[in-house]
Amino acid sequence: MENFEPVVVAFACHYCAYTAADMAGTKRLSYPPNVKIIRVPCTGKVDMLHIMKAFEKGADGVCVAACLDGDCHFRTGNVRAASHVDAVRKLLDEIGVGGERLEMVALSAGMGERFAQIATEITEKIRKLGPSPVRKVSVAAGAA
Amino acid sequence: MQGEKEKSAKNRVLVIGAGVGGMRAALDLAEAGRSVVLIDKAHSIGGLMTQLDRTFPTNNCDVCTLSPSLSESGRQLDIELMTSTEVVELKGQAGDFSVRLSTQPRHIDLEKCTACGDCLAGFPECVRFTPGLDPRAPTCMRYPQATPYAFSIDLSRCQDVDELVKICKAGAIIPNDRPRSVQVNVGSIVVAAGAQLFDPGKLEVFGHGRFPNVVTSMEYERILSASGPTRGALVRPSDSKRPARIAWIQCVGSRGLQKGANPYCSSACCMYALKEAIVTKERFFKDIQTTIFYMDMRTSGKDYELYYQRAVREYGIRFVRSRPHTIDQDPVTKDLHIAYMPVGGDALREETFDMVVLSTGFQISSDLQELAGRLGIQLNANHFVLGDAFNQVATSKPGIYTCGLFESPKDIPETMVQASAAASNASIHLDPDARIPVDRQEFPPERDVSGEEPRVGVFVCDCEFNIGGVVDVNDVVKSFEGLPQVVVSKMIGHGCSRESLETLRRSIEENKLNRVVVGACSPRSHEPLFQDTLRRAGLNKYLLEMANIRDQGTWVHMDRPAEAAQKVKTLLRMAVARVRLARPLRDHVAPMNRNVLVVGGGVSGMSAALNLAELGFKVTLAEKTGQLGGVAKIISRTLEGADVKAWFEELVRKTTSHRNIEVLTHCSIVDHCGTAGMFTTGLQVGGEYRKVDHGVTILATGAVPNRPDEYLLGKHQAVMTQLDLDGFLEKNAAAVKGWQNVVMIQCVGSRVPENPNCSRVCCQAAVKNALRILEVNPEAMIYVLYRDMRTHGFQEEYYTKARERGVVFVQYEPETKPSVQSNGNGRLTVRFRDPILGRDLILEADCLALSTGFVGNAETVRELASVFHLPTTDDSYFLETHVKLRPVDMSVTGFFIAGTAHAPKTIAESVAQAQAAVGRAQTLLSSETINLGASVAKVEREKCAACLICVRACPFQVPYINAEGYSEIDPARCQGCGICASECPAKAIQLLQYEDDQIMAELEGLFERV
Repeated sequence: MENFEPVVVAFACHYCAYTAADMAGTKRLSYPPNVKIIRVPCTGKVDMLHIMKAFEKGADGVCVAACLDGDCHFRTGNVRAASHVDAVRKLLDEIGVGGERLEMVALSAGMGERFAQIATEITEKIRKLGPSPVRKVSVAAGAA
Repeated sequence: MQGEKEKSAKNRVLVIGAGVGGMRAALDLAEAGRSVVLIDKAHSIGGLMTQLDRTFPTNNCDVCTLSPSLSESGRQLDIELMTSTEVVELKGQAGDFSVRLSTQPRHIDLEKCTACGDCLAGFPECVRFTPGLDPRAPTCMRYPQATPYAFSIDLSRCQDVDELVKICKAGAIIPNDRPRSVQVNVGSIVVAAGAQLFDPGKLEVFGHGRFPNVVTSMEYERILSASGPTRGALVRPSDSKRPARIAWIQCVGSRGLQKGANPYCSSACCMYALKEAIVTKERFFKDIQTTIFYMDMRTSGKDYELYYQRAVREYGIRFVRSRPHTIDQDPVTKDLHIAYMPVGGDALREETFDMVVLSTGFQISSDLQELAGRLGIQLNANHFVLGDAFNQVATSKPGIYTCGLFESPKDIPETMVQASAAASNASIHLDPDARIPVDRQEFPPERDVSGEEPRVGVFVCDCEFNIGGVVDVNDVVKSFEGLPQVVVSKMIGHGCSRESLETLRRSIEENKLNRVVVGACSPRSHEPLFQDTLRRAGLNKYLLEMANIRDQGTWVHMDRPAEAAQKVKTLLRMAVARVRLARPLRDHVAPMNRNVLVVGGGVSGMSAALNLAELGFKVTLAEKTGQLGGVAKIISRTLEGADVKAWFEELVRKTTSHRNIEVLTHCSIVDHCGTAGMFTTGLQVGGEYRKVDHGVTILATGAVPNRPDEYLLGKHQAVMTQLDLDGFLEKNAAAVKGWQNVVMIQCVGSRVPENPNCSRVCCQAAVKNALRILEVNPEAMIYVLYRDMRTHGFQEEYYTKARERGVVFVQYEPETKPSVQSNGNGRLTVRFRDPILGRDLILEADCLALSTGFVGNAETVRELASVFHLPTTDDSYFLETHVKLRPVDMSVTGFFIAGTAHAPKTIAESVAQAQAAVGRAQTLLSSETINLGASVAKVEREKCAACLICVRACPFQVPYINAEGYSEIDPARCQGCGICASECPAKAIQLLQYEDDQIMAELEGLFERV
């Protein structure tokens, strides 16, 4: 897997993480293009099904990017998201995908640098883990 | 036209000048339901800003940030735009002015002109203008996104008028067009007439006009600009070759540095020179050597110091502290030799450059002085508008306000602040009951698209170089052609310009599109603009999907264009997949609560409260401590000598006695909920808890005077801060008489790693206190040890005065900081390095004044940011939504910032910002209803098992099980988080706009194999 370019899906809440990503742009901070953002009003809206679907479709990693602790625009959305993420991680471990491919991060709207840093770190982490086993299966199926 | 002018003065304002300031003021007034007449002497609006290439600190293309405002100006708000128009005569008084206006002929029928450009192609001599570098001066489309979007003709330059008339297929040319004169009645006037750039031709030593490669900063902006004479290629004028060495010379025509220069500092030049040098490196070639010759770098605005530090550290821009003597030109190569004396050097040095940029400042033209004469407003010695000591935007004539450059030299954010402040002041003279609610915009009826197959249009903006400079937009567009259900795929240059929005609208209608994808900047900033266009094309606004290919695409992947192109295509595919499933939605509305909560009872909070109260709004003013005040309470005089105490006491009196203001002291903010227009905030007032309902919140919580543990502060009685010294001078003038030596140290605790920004007010405070000491004790020797003297604008004249009176200013670098020791007899020994003599000096000082400035109010800011869910900067100030164009708005609708809670500033600047917050707030407060959006949770009753999970999960206690036994969610109360939707085990709840199938489709789009 010499040329493995991981695909990372980031569910980012509108008020904090998505704004932080825009801030990274305003500041022209470079980060790997592997991360693709799906905007949600609140990470509390990120359904376990959405995360699973992302892996099913071929994501090598998923990141749920929320507001800082206590800063959720909708009070408790990030807390709920954290519990969803925990549950899905266990599931991922059970089915052999690996819970470490799913990550939850928290950042405020002003943290452009932090966003760029997170995007870089996650991409590197997933690159080291290699392609998702789901993707290997689907590639094999496609080849067959 | 006459009949229409009979409109009542009770609800009408005249805005003179349609640059950024005038436009902001006009928009704020119109959005607040006022009727505006906006005039400009030029043929199209925009002023100086539209000629700039990019602006700091975001290094964004200006036209892109500004054109949404221009387009807004053209919207259905009650703004009557009159170009080529001037004030001839003014009669009457505040509340009832009568103004005669005269309009020069344009020779173009604006109704008919389609801006096709045929006249320009056929007769370039009379229809073209590239500001600055094009000698064919007059008229016309000053920049490609000009508003009004029509040409204009200078008939005197036309050789064959008949032929010119014939060339226009639209028949829009009117050869016998005449000047027109109209009378308008207005209640108040905002003068936003701008300023002129200093003409360096007067200064022979720099050779501007004689040496082709010496250009002004504005000419350099035009060279960098894609719409400029070189189409954005960086080449020097003499031989069109790429320059390898560029120098900037600061303060050309400012700070009295040359013969014929103005005595004041022009305030904006340091930042624009930094920007031009950075953009030169960033956008063109990293190996271009950029050198800035300067006296003091004046980067004292919010986060400006960080920008300066980036210029030094990240971009390797070279700074030479020196005032160049002359520029000579090599007669053959046209290279330029700059002769200068370096600080501490003993001989003149000479260096060679390929190009030299003169950072020229602002001045007031004789035209503007005449305008002031016709309006009857007084000017100061430098011909700028003479203002009030504590109200920057007031003029000498009641009912007339000013903003922007005509008030004093300044940059764009300050202009925007003053513009909104002028709008709120101007409203005070109008009838509060005459407002026209603006929430009922007229749009064509929505087309019913149910049952139609999706017909998707993909429109990709190039955003000039921002997107188009990184990826090939045409190639991106091509890859979407012929995809299932994609009917149109095309590039739209400058997607947010009026012209492009019109193209978009037409394309939707012509192709019967029922879904639209716009690939451009962030939906956070531009979605409403494109949604408006859909509405104008008869489509429901929720049939739009934006792909954020700039802020989250080209801007962050500039260094790898191939991968950036891949990502841009993927983001667009995701948007196309998602938009196919978009459904028309209805916005929910609720009545607007017009009360305001102002947090913080300092000068800013009180000024905001008073202004609001004058406009008829009810205000709750919450102050944490036992009394109103803040830092201004302990300041006695301003630099200009105005009596702060008397003014302050009057402000407190007016605030506490106004019937529309309720002052709550010992009041802290406990909890908060709701959206703009219907907030509820819980307050702890003394021992009692109470709730306040309000529509808007203004944060004016201030900053804290810094007291760092340095230079024996707090350990030696002769060491004090400038604030302490101000009080000491007021009370102990006698003691000052005995002082021989006074030392002041600048930037103590500012511009240091712990507090990297400049505190903005300390340089003028040091000059103020130095002059006051000399008033009492003319024999005192005062030494000010500084890093850069930052006395911007007219403060410079006091700095000059201090030097004339013998105050000694000695520059130091952070590496060679002064040192201070107690010498036991109540005095201090100060040791510092004199860079000119090149050796250390030792002084016995009677008083050491430290310019300690401000730090962010960390504890309060953290608490409030958490309760209100607001973003802050790293150094504990509140973060505005756009540093340049929206300096008082916060990213959460309904919140505004005023005063030093935003960044350090002077009293008058704080008051202006407080008034600006009111100017912006009244645009919300004058609506009758608030729009809650369409993103609400909807229950499918057949699937609901009444399991109560949503009832428990909702953070706002909205869902309940109704009499029919299923969960019901009130759309007016739903906040739209979608938590219930993700928790519902039966998947009976969908969050509209973010339905499960839409998110799934977005994922499908992401992984679609192409």
